[in-house]
Amino acid sequence: MNETSAPAATGRIVLERTYRARVEELWELWTTKKGLESWWGPEGFRVEVHHIEARVGGALHYEMIADAPEQIEAMKRTGQATSHKVKGTFTELKLHQRLAITQLIDFVAGVKPYHTTAVVEFSQSRDRVRMVITLDALHDAEWTKRAQMGWTSQLGKLDKRFQS
Amino acid sequence: MVQYAAELDSSFAALADPTRRGILQRLGRSDASISDLAASFDMTLTGMKKHVQILEGAGLATTSKVGRVRRCMLGPRKLEDASAWIAEYRRLWEARLDRFGAALEKQRKRRTARRQEKRK
Repeated sequence: MNETSAPAATGRIVLERTYRARVEELWELWTTKKGLESWWGPEGFRVEVHHIEARVGGALHYEMIADAPEQIEAMKRTGQATSHKVKGTFTELKLHQRLAITQLIDFVAGVKPYHTTAVVEFSQSRDRVRMVITLDALHDAEWTKRAQMGWTSQLGKLDKRFQS
Repeated sequence: MVQYAAELDSSFAALADPTRRGILQRLGRSDASISDLAASFDMTLTGMKKHVQILEGAGLATTSKVGRVRRCMLGPRKLEDASAWIAEYRRLWEARLDRFGAALEKQRKRRTARRQEKRK
């Protein structure tokens, strides 16, 4: 068993969707103020994009504002601010093919600031576009360690099973 | 050990199929009937029942009959800490991509309407 590959294997999430559309239409939703604001969310939040510059090294600064009443209530109850400013950067950009957004997450209580990256790849075939998103889900040492332990112990169980 | 290994085998087999992983993601958001699931995955009722049975056999989903409808929900098998967190993060992105799809659809409709308006 290759121990060093375990965290990467557990920490990565790959999501795939196919849309009947042109790649330009999807690209616009990722790289313009109006586009991103129409879907970025997350659930219970709306987003105001303050600065967006779709080029390598270009900024993506936005504010995440709780707008669902239950979300606002939950954040107040747990002593969190109801809006957060997030600073991101386009770290990769290949027109209509691939982009990467790296964000600094520095507002989670008890968690040291960390960077998180989403890589998005687009491929058009006839009237459909396949969009593949790769996320690094595990951001700090604690989670990586926990994941590694969980994964290693699962693989350990498998190993035992094959030996028995 | 043998019992545990059998469970592990069944969950690996259940998770090996992308449709079944999709079903679990869907159930992670809310319970659903077999026919809801069949419609979301563009599949026949019989095909969907088979997938759900496999997930149920692995403890990853459970079902219960309410009147004439069979409801499906996530099963009793609890995820470990880290995988629970990853699942949570994945759910956030799944929901985000649902909105992406809806926004794309809205954008297309708006443009089609505008084109038709111009032709008039």
